[in-house]
Amino acid sequence: MARADLLPRLTAMGAALETRAHLHRLGALFSETVLIEVQGDEYYLTFHRGALETITPGPSRKIPWRFAIRVDAEALEKFWQPIPEAGFHDIFGFVKTGRGSIEGDILVLVKNLRFFKEFMALGREVQA
Amino acid sequence: MSAFEPITGRYVTITAGGRPHRIYFEEAGQGQPVICFHTAGADTRQWRHIMNDAEITARHRIIAVDMPWHGKSLPPEGWQTEEYQLTTDFYIEVVLAMVAALELENPVYAGCSMGGRIALQLALNHPAPFKGFIAIEASDFQPAWYDIDWFHRPDAHGGEMGAALVSANIAPQGPEAERWNTQWMFMQSGPGVFRGDLSFYTRDDSLVGKLGGIDTSAKPVHIMVGEYDMTCTPEDAKRTADAIPGATLAVMPGIGHFPMSENPEGFRPYFVEALAKMA
Repeated sequence: MARADLLPRLTAMGAALETRAHLHRLGALFSETVLIEVQGDEYYLTFHRGALETITPGPSRKIPWRFAIRVDAEALEKFWQPIPEAGFHDIFGFVKTGRGSIEGDILVLVKNLRFFKEFMALGREVQA
Repeated sequence: MSAFEPITGRYVTITAGGRPHRIYFEEAGQGQPVICFHTAGADTRQWRHIMNDAEITARHRIIAVDMPWHGKSLPPEGWQTEEYQLTTDFYIEVVLAMVAALELENPVYAGCSMGGRIALQLALNHPAPFKGFIAIEASDFQPAWYDIDWFHRPDAHGGEMGAALVSANIAPQGPEAERWNTQWMFMQSGPGVFRGDLSFYTRDDSLVGKLGGIDTSAKPVHIMVGEYDMTCTPEDAKRTADAIPGATLAVMPGIGHFPMSENPEGFRPYFVEALAKMA
């Protein structure tokens, strides 16, 4: 599957995040940089108090990140379907199915798990 | 006219692990007793739709039990300095004590997840009091794909983290309200309870290699599994069913690890089928 530039989609997800008042509350203590890497393409998402402030495309060896999600493009596209098939319906499915990995400070992810999962699921609602 | 439900709740004190436990249970219906147990980190509310199903309760007395430390069953005296860790033996003792306390004759046992694991333990080691076993999201052994210590920390809300984690096991096809109701129970779980349940569920491998000893000729074993369950996958359930001579298996599409709670309409026909297999 050809790799797509995820920047427009991730940007739209950040804009959608702005409209979700409950995610402002859930993400109030989340100020971290997250790496999303899709088949070698890197995107550094920097959140501040639950808002997505910047998205910096890689490659970069200088941007520190708290945790990373690495996944293949097809699996991520399946995750973003309105009704994802089994195994692709949750970010932990990437790990369980062997299609990706979650690395870094996992405890920070888990402490903010509902917030981050709902942010990632916004990709189902925005234009690809 | 007030919209009362037919479910009633009571308390009974049993002895398990050498100590008294004040147990809360709910029930509805009459006829064949079916004693139902919840998943880790949850309570009787997972069975609310089955207990409210008039067609099922017309011929079945559905009883759902809050395990000690769960729901409205208090932890035992002295809990404040204890580390809660569930064990297979304690769980079985609670089930058998409840069957005795309620004077149930030939009940069907139904349990989900850790309750499903116990269905298999009972079928192997304590089949006598039961008519049959409905083992939901059940397998012989499931090692953790997560760190169970995440769910009991002084610097975070274990219930909220647990709910966010188990949401990975809820299928997207269920009604939104019920999917969130299912998570609410985990959010309400007492500190350390989900972790203590998981310590048993993810580490006790005592069934491995022994499933062939279950005799289904007189006591049927029916295993049910949701397509979207990532903890006990359909492959795990099939592996388990294949190892039990005579066991039957149903894979439920569009359903996850909490079928009776997350998607009651989708679960219902499969549960009715399971009850029929116990007849």
